[in-house]
Amino acid sequence: MTDMTKPVVAPPGSIVSGDLMQLLYRLSAALLICIILALLNDSFLSLGNILNVLRQTSLLFFIASGLTLVVLTAGLDLSVGANVALSACLAGTVIQHTGSPLLGVLTGLLAGGIVGLLNGVMVTALRIPSFIATYGMLWVLNGLTYWYMAGETIHGFPPGFRQIGSGYLFGLPIPVYLLLIFLAIGTAFAQRTIWGQEIYAVGANPVAARLSGIPVARRLLLVYGVSGTMAGLASIIFLARLNSAEADIGESLTLPAIAAVLIGGTSLFGGVGTVFGTFIGALILTLVLNGMNLLSVNANWQPFITGVIVIVAVWLDMTTRRHKL
Amino acid sequence: MRESAAASPLRRIPGVAVMLALLVGIFGTIAPGFLSLANISNVLLQSTILTLLALPMTLIIMTEGLDLSMGAVVTLTSLMVAIVSLATGSMLLGLAAAIVVGIGFGMLNGWLVAIAGIPPFVATLGTLGMAQGLCLIVSDGQSVVGIPRAVRDIYSATLAGLPVPVVVALIAYAVFHVLLYHTRFGTYIFALGGNREALRYAGLSPAKWLIGAYMIGGLMAGIAGLFMTARMNAGHPTAGLGLEFDAIAAVAVGGTSFERGNGWLFGTVLGVIAVGVLRNGLNLLALPSSLQVASVGFLVIVALFLDGLRSRS
Amino acid sequence: MNLAVHEPHGESDQGQEHRGRENTGPGSQAVSAVPLLELRDISKEFPGVKALDGVSFPVWPSEVHMLLGENGAGKSSLMKVLCGAYRADSGEFYYKGEKAVIASTADAQRLGIAVIFQEFSLVPHLDIAQNIFLGREPAGRLPGTIDRRRILRDARKVLDSIGFDIDPSIKVDRLGVAQQQMVEIAKAISQNARILVMDEPTAALSDRETELLFALIARLKADGVAIIYISHRLAEVFAIGDRITVLRDGRRIGEVRPAEATPDQLVRMMVGRSIDLSYPRNFAAQPGKVLLEVRGLSANSGISDIDIVVRQGEIVGLCGLIGSGRSELARAIFGADTITAGDVIFDGQRMTDGPDLAARRGIALIPENRKSEGLALLRSAGDNLVVAALRKLFPTGLFEPPRAFGAANDLIQRLRIATPSARQPVGLLSGGNQQKIVIGKWLAAGAKLFIFDEPTRGIDVGAKSEIFALIDRLVADGAAALMISSEQAEICHVCDRAYVMREGRIAGELSRHELTEENIVRLGMHHA
Repeated sequence: MTDMTKPVVAPPGSIVSGDLMQLLYRLSAALLICIILALLNDSFLSLGNILNVLRQTSLLFFIASGLTLVVLTAGLDLSVGANVALSACLAGTVIQHTGSPLLGVLTGLLAGGIVGLLNGVMVTALRIPSFIATYGMLWVLNGLTYWYMAGETIHGFPPGFRQIGSGYLFGLPIPVYLLLIFLAIGTAFAQRTIWGQEIYAVGANPVAARLSGIPVARRLLLVYGVSGTMAGLASIIFLARLNSAEADIGESLTLPAIAAVLIGGTSLFGGVGTVFGTFIGALILTLVLNGMNLLSVNANWQPFITGVIVIVAVWLDMTTRRHKL
Repeated sequence: MRESAAASPLRRIPGVAVMLALLVGIFGTIAPGFLSLANISNVLLQSTILTLLALPMTLIIMTEGLDLSMGAVVTLTSLMVAIVSLATGSMLLGLAAAIVVGIGFGMLNGWLVAIAGIPPFVATLGTLGMAQGLCLIVSDGQSVVGIPRAVRDIYSATLAGLPVPVVVALIAYAVFHVLLYHTRFGTYIFALGGNREALRYAGLSPAKWLIGAYMIGGLMAGIAGLFMTARMNAGHPTAGLGLEFDAIAAVAVGGTSFERGNGWLFGTVLGVIAVGVLRNGLNLLALPSSLQVASVGFLVIVALFLDGLRSRS
Repeated sequence: MNLAVHEPHGESDQGQEHRGRENTGPGSQAVSAVPLLELRDISKEFPGVKALDGVSFPVWPSEVHMLLGENGAGKSSLMKVLCGAYRADSGEFYYKGEKAVIASTADAQRLGIAVIFQEFSLVPHLDIAQNIFLGREPAGRLPGTIDRRRILRDARKVLDSIGFDIDPSIKVDRLGVAQQQMVEIAKAISQNARILVMDEPTAALSDRETELLFALIARLKADGVAIIYISHRLAEVFAIGDRITVLRDGRRIGEVRPAEATPDQLVRMMVGRSIDLSYPRNFAAQPGKVLLEVRGLSANSGISDIDIVVRQGEIVGLCGLIGSGRSELARAIFGADTITAGDVIFDGQRMTDGPDLAARRGIALIPENRKSEGLALLRSAGDNLVVAALRKLFPTGLFEPPRAFGAANDLIQRLRIATPSARQPVGLLSGGNQQKIVIGKWLAAGAKLFIFDEPTRGIDVGAKSEIFALIDRLVADGAAALMISSEQAEICHVCDRAYVMREGRIAGELSRHELTEENIVRLGMHHA
């Protein structure tokens, strides 16, 4: 590796060179937005606001990170928001009845994971296109959640548990630490395991992947399962943060998650993208929405802006992809 | 009738007819009051709005597309009816506003899918967000009440003994039938889904007709908005969200395929009624609407799975 | 024959929208001194290969002009140039003696040229009439509507004119392949096609349907239509051909009349070439143990009752025409298609599962469409090289880029892959280097049986010998190779022996000394 006659080139699969440039562009975009907001509004740089942005980014990131793996395989999981809601309600119930936060956490993760696997089964065994399978699942989960909660709210969790969402450690919100942990885990999984490499291969060309000996169906089950489990994780954080569970907490989560994935550079057509990119995407989206809040823009504009962002991000993805090859 | 003989995608008894018969049979037995005249006419009346949406959705799905924004757009158009008719005192101006907004979104969807080439489910997911946002913005999150009597009366008025909404639904069905089976536009809809290349070989531009399909969806969303406001006697910022799901369910259950450019309009109507019957029956059994939604979702998955099986055999 | 069907199109006095050519009158029955269409010196080049090299070709009315040639001789390129799908790089077209331009499908249509491709351009859920008149529907009373009665009547007329008795309101997806083909022909006729190009029209037809097609062709001929008919079946060539043109390597070798030619003569024209191939090949003195044994194999893809054997140290060829089942056999062996009968035994073990099992046991498939099936174009050369060897290189599951990098670079050097770095996206490399990467992928995975499907397609001459040298080294090191190729010369030079397939079965096996191009072509083309 220290052969001086050979030009230094990047190892395959690592986050350097071409991918790195893309990430740097996005990071600078985030930085630019920060600068603009700081100039436009005094309270942007206040400690409270920064911590708030970081925490919001974390919450968004948990959902979007699992979703990233699904999108890497050229699929989509539209049920993540509803998954968060159902898992949160189930976990909340368990905590209330057993008093054990641990059981609650396990419930949330398990519920999310099972939903994810069901999605995976629909896509692999039943061969239903992912966007429509998860769309149907969205409504099934939605209905189940509303029925289960019957209009009620679950309140009041043990203070220890609430720390997960609202607590601080060395001045930073705990979710941020979780963000860093999962960012590391996600990146390591995608870039430093053979399963990650196989997932990229499946997304880039599923036929060639299969003909290269990759068990495509098993990998798809894996990514949908992970997406569901991460939704389950997100539900725990939400639970801890909001100190309550209601049926409607998932409604406005799916679109921003998709937006974060797309802004982060993951292509809807598979094979391109990183978990770190999704983190930056989540950051950028949160900054934009935060900025809108600070500038007293009517909160009602948020879904509209998110929708526009999704469209623009896909369009950019398509035009650059065409130039590539 | 030409349609049932030549257009039915199934060579045996259509699955939706069986499903409908089963549902009616089951609910007739176990749900109290299901088979009463009042209930049945109620189901049919309530199905009219969904019919107005499911008809164009059939066309869109036949082109291998999807319109996820329909529910949000209907909500928006219903708000437009409420706001404009409240401000001007005229129901017709309200309807006009609704139609303009509906067609506008239809054009946007069509352009994104046909010209920008964005996959339909993503494009309409984005416009769903946009429409949803606009709903909140124009209504400021509040319901719009106090609208002119004329609007409400449209829903309860009758024409030749039938409720006006039912008449409109029937007319819509007739128009769509002619559109799909007797016009060039309809022919090209089949081609868009079945073999898009054939259109290009014939010297036609697929984009133009694809945009037309989405625009018709927008138009119908505009009309449906009027009836929605009329039914609720108000404009709600979230009333119609999720209707696109029922529309897609109706189309899927009705037998229209998602991948082969085959469509059965009458099947969609049966599908609409099936969805309506399912919801109504579960309602009478005191099942909350949330579970109804879940059941419809499950129904869609089953229908899609069967459709997938059929296309692979 | 009644050609009244064409009149409505010229009649456009009711504001009807009928696109398509103006009716220039029914084909002239008189003998013309000038060909209906003439190609002069047409050339078409693609990166690395000259598909057509100065081809000149006359098309006379009322004639069936047979176009013969091996796979890759240029027949399909010629067809695409004729219908305007490809634009010729050089050369000229003359229509009835006057210079014409064919630069688009519209141009070709205007000249009355229609091509009946193997993948039809029909819309499955529309009926026959709608398909025939797609884009040219007769208008009804209200704007935009279609006059159903009229379209069915017009369709009936067209169908009658070609002797096809069928209800035009039947949906096209209910028709068999032969009938769909008739609809395509009807469509072409309704557009006033005076030159019909047919590509292997009897490939999917039964004997009876073939007879009907020939009867139709006779009627069209009598009507003045010129038919260019591409075929491999010598029997057909002599049965209905009026004129035969043979192509080889993109060049027109000669034109003969069936009455004056013999099958042997045609075969020689198709294959004869001065071969100057210096592919290195060290033939093994004694082949090793049996690595692959296929017994009575049948699959849904159309192959039946296949028995073949491949030994270590051998390169076994698999020949036959396009559609004879070679690729299907390869896929079945690899597990990519479902087997309905028979066994695949690799290294003593029965293979029952999908490609991932086959790959892990040591079978490699280098597919024909390397871009769509063998490579992930967006990913780097390095990624593609290690993708099948991940478990072997990283048994713990942890992927270490430096080691992957090392393995990739190693392969790049060994195979002399020309790439600026292992990081280069594979889609940017040349065909030959892409192929080396596909092979390298399996080298890294430690495969023992290499199945090649058209390994040198789309690769320039220099890279070709490198590929062969590579394959030679592979089998010298103890692997075995099964090579599907349409380049008979290559098979003869490189293979220890070869199987010839025909219509889904093994037509015969040729040993080393029997392995000549003529034998291959003969075995592949005779009807049972």
